Amino acid sequence: MREITLSTAVNEAIAEEMRRDETIFLIGEDVAEAGTPFKITSGLVEEFGTDRVIDTPIAEPGFMGIAVGAAMTGSRPIVDLMFGDFIFLIMDQLCNQAAKTHYMSGGKLNVPLVLRTNMGATRRSAAQHSQSLHAIVAHIPGLKVAMPSSALEAKGLLKTAIRDNNPVVIFEDKLMYQDKAEVPEGELLIPFGVANVKREGSDITLVGTSSMVQVAEKAAEILAAEGISAEVIDPRTIVPLDMDTINTSVRKTSRCIVIDEGHQSFGITSEIASRIMEQSFYHLDGPVIRMGAMDVPIPFSPALEDITVPTPEGVVAVARRLMAGEMINVS
Amino acid sequence: MSHDVIMPALGMAQDSGLLVSWFKQSGDAVAIGDALFEVETDKATMEVEAQHAGFLTQVAAKSGDEVPVGQVIAVIAASQDAAVPIASVAEEQPPQFAAKEDALPEGQSIIMPALGMTQDTGLLVNWLKQPGDAVSADEVLFEVETDKSTMEVTAGVDGFVAALLAAAGEDVPVGHDVAIISSAKPETLMQRTRGDVPTPAAAPSLPATQSPVAPPPGDLKRTEKRQLQPKSSRILASPKTRRLAYERGLDLQKLVEAGHVQPYHVSDLAALQNISADTPVSIAAPALRRLTAKISAVPFGEIMSFVSEKSSGPTAGAVISGLAAGAWASGGSDLIVAYRHFSTTQLFSNPHGIGLGKALPDQANVEAQLLINDLRQSAISSIENCSDGLPTLTILSQGDQFSFTFECGAGQISADAALSFLTEFAGRMEQPLRHLL
Repeated sequence: MREITLSTAVNEAIAEEMRRDETIFLIGEDVAEAGTPFKITSGLVEEFGTDRVIDTPIAEPGFMGIAVGAAMTGSRPIVDLMFGDFIFLIMDQLCNQAAKTHYMSGGKLNVPLVLRTNMGATRRSAAQHSQSLHAIVAHIPGLKVAMPSSALEAKGLLKTAIRDNNPVVIFEDKLMYQDKAEVPEGELLIPFGVANVKREGSDITLVGTSSMVQVAEKAAEILAAEGISAEVIDPRTIVPLDMDTINTSVRKTSRCIVIDEGHQSFGITSEIASRIMEQSFYHLDGPVIRMGAMDVPIPFSPALEDITVPTPEGVVAVARRLMAGEMINVS
Repeated sequence: MSHDVIMPALGMAQDSGLLVSWFKQSGDAVAIGDALFEVETDKATMEVEAQHAGFLTQVAAKSGDEVPVGQVIAVIAASQDAAVPIASVAEEQPPQFAAKEDALPEGQSIIMPALGMTQDTGLLVNWLKQPGDAVSADEVLFEVETDKSTMEVTAGVDGFVAALLAAAGEDVPVGHDVAIISSAKPETLMQRTRGDVPTPAAAPSLPATQSPVAPPPGDLKRTEKRQLQPKSSRILASPKTRRLAYERGLDLQKLVEAGHVQPYHVSDLAALQNISADTPVSIAAPALRRLTAKISAVPFGEIMSFVSEKSSGPTAGAVISGLAAGAWASGGSDLIVAYRHFSTTQLFSNPHGIGLGKALPDQANVEAQLLINDLRQSAISSIENCSDGLPTLTILSQGDQFSFTFECGAGQISADAALSFLTEFAGRMEQPLRHLL
C-alpha cells in the first residue's frame, strides 16, 4: 500500500471532495498560492480557481463569520485556521453562531462547516502558537471534534467531516504534517464515534489522542519488553466519543492511562477518565491516570518545552507504578 | 459613660454571626474606628470597628462563638476598672477544677496501655489535650515513651477530657488510669499527678461509669495495633478487588490482620484465598477419643436370659443404660441415654445413676448425652468414627465376648473421664447383678 504524508492526505481529501461537490469552498489565510505555511493546500487554487480557494486578510473573526453565513445559505465551507491558538479569535462565530444555529433555528438552518486547524507543541513556536485547544470546543454542544492521529485518519476523518451537515472542528498535529502512513487509494471515509484499537494488550489500557497515539504506541513497545502488555486506543473523534471501545478495553485490563496534549487540568483526559470511572468503576484495579501537557504556557525554551508534554518514557513510568499498585498522585 | 458592643446586623437574612477573632483584649484601650473583632458572614469575613473610645471590658464572647445579632458581647467603659469578665454567651460557667483529693469525675477511664512484651510502665511524655477539651476517638490523647520509641495513644472514645491523672514526665504502670473522658461536657475537671495520690489504685475501683479501656487479651502485636494507632475504619482496596472479594466470599479484613500493606489490588486476592483456605470454616474431623474394651459376655447373657423369662422384667436397654449411667460420673444429675437397637432409638433417663434406666416417651423433649449403639445381634464387627456428635458407646459381640467401643470428641470429655467411664462400664457389664441391686 502506498505511503503518503499527512499533508498530502489532507490535500487529497479536500481535492476529492471539492471535485465531488461544487458547493464546497476553501477559505483562510494563505490557502491559495502559498498553499498555507505548512504547504498543505498547494495546487488547489490552480485546480479550483480563486472563487473556491479564497485568500483572506488577517481577520479571523471576519472570515469565520463569512464562512458561517455561507454555510447557512447553501455552501459548504472549509475554513483553514492557521494556528489552533487563533481559535480564541473566532469563538463567538464558532461557538455562539455555528454551534447553535441549527438548534436555535428550530432545525431550519444547517451549518455544514469544517474548521481545519492544528495543535501540538515542541515546534518551538512558543506559547501563543503551540496550544492544543480541542477541549475548549469539545465542551460546546453543537460542535463535533475530530483528531486524526496519522495520515490515514487525516484523510478519512476530513472527508467525513466535509460531508457532515454539522459544524466540525478537525485538529491536525502540526508536527505530523510530514509524517507518512499507509493510506489506501480510492474512497476513504472514517466514521465519527468509532475508536480504533491500534494495539491489543491485556494489562493496561492507554488511550491517546492525535500524536499521543504514537507516544502511547512507543510506550507500549517499551512496556512489552518488561512483560507488560499495553492496549492502545485512538478515539479518533472526541465528539462523538466512543466509550464502548474504551470501556471494553478497560474492563479487560482494569487499568488505564489517558494521554492528550491539551493541558492536564479541565481537559480531554479528565473527561475520558471521569467517564471510565463512572462506567467501569467496579472493573478498575487502580485509578485512571490522566497525562496531559503541564498547566503552564508552552515555553519557548526547547529544553523546557520538551518536558511540558507527555513522552513515552513518562507514560512508561506511570504504567509501571500502576501495575505495581502504587498510590499515584498526579494532580 | 459605657457603651455596649453588640454583634451587628450583618445582612438581610442573617440572625447570628460567627465571631472569628478579637483584635483587642479585655482591658485594652480602644479608639473610635479601631478594629475590635472579626465576624464571618455568609459572604465574607468583616471587621467590626469600635464606635466609642474607652477601654474594652466585660468581653462576653470568644473566638468561635456564634452570637445572635444584637447581643451584647462587650462593653467599652470609661475606665479599666470595669473589666470584669462575665460568663461567655455561648457557655455556662467554665468548669471548675476539683480538689485533688476529691472523687474522680464520671466517665470512661483511659489507662496506660500495654506497650511491649517486657514493659510494665510507660513514661507519659506529654498530653495533647487539656482538661475540658473535646476529643474524638481517633485523636491522639497523649504520648508515651517506650523502650523503642515515642508512641501516640489515641483517646479511643469520643467525649471531653474530664480528668488527667498523671503529669507529663511521670512513669505510669501499665493498666493504671491516666485520664477520664466523659461523654458530656464536664462541669468539674480534675488534673493531678500520680504523686498527688499516695496509694494509686491499681485496678479502677473509682467512680467510673464504665470498665476501663483495657487492651484486649491476645498477642501483643495486635494490641499495639489497636491501641497505639489511629482507628482506621476503611480498608483501602481497588473497586475491582472489592467486587471480586465479595463475589468469592472473601474477607479483606483477613489481609489486614495478616499484615498485608494496603491498598489492596486484585493480585492480593491470591494471598487472601490462601489465608481463607488455611482457616476452614467448619472443622471436618474433630479430634476424637476412641477407647475399646473387651469383657466376657457370659454374665450379662445369664442375667438377661433370667430377666427375659419374667414378663415384667427390664429390657436390655434399661439395664445397659442403667449400667452406663452408673459408670458415668455425672455428678448426681440425670443422664439421658439414647439407646439404639435394631434401628430404633429409645431414650432412657437415669436419675442418680443408680438402678435401671427409665424409658422416656418418644415425645420427650430432652437431649441425650450419651448414645449407646447396641450392635450385639448385628453383623458389624468393628466401627470407627461412627459417632455423629454425641459420645457414643458401641456394643459388639464377638463370640462369647463383648467388645465395647467408646468414641467422643476431645472437647466433650476429658481423657481421664473417658477412661474411667469405659472401665467402669466394662466392669459393671461383667458383674451386672452387683451393680443393679
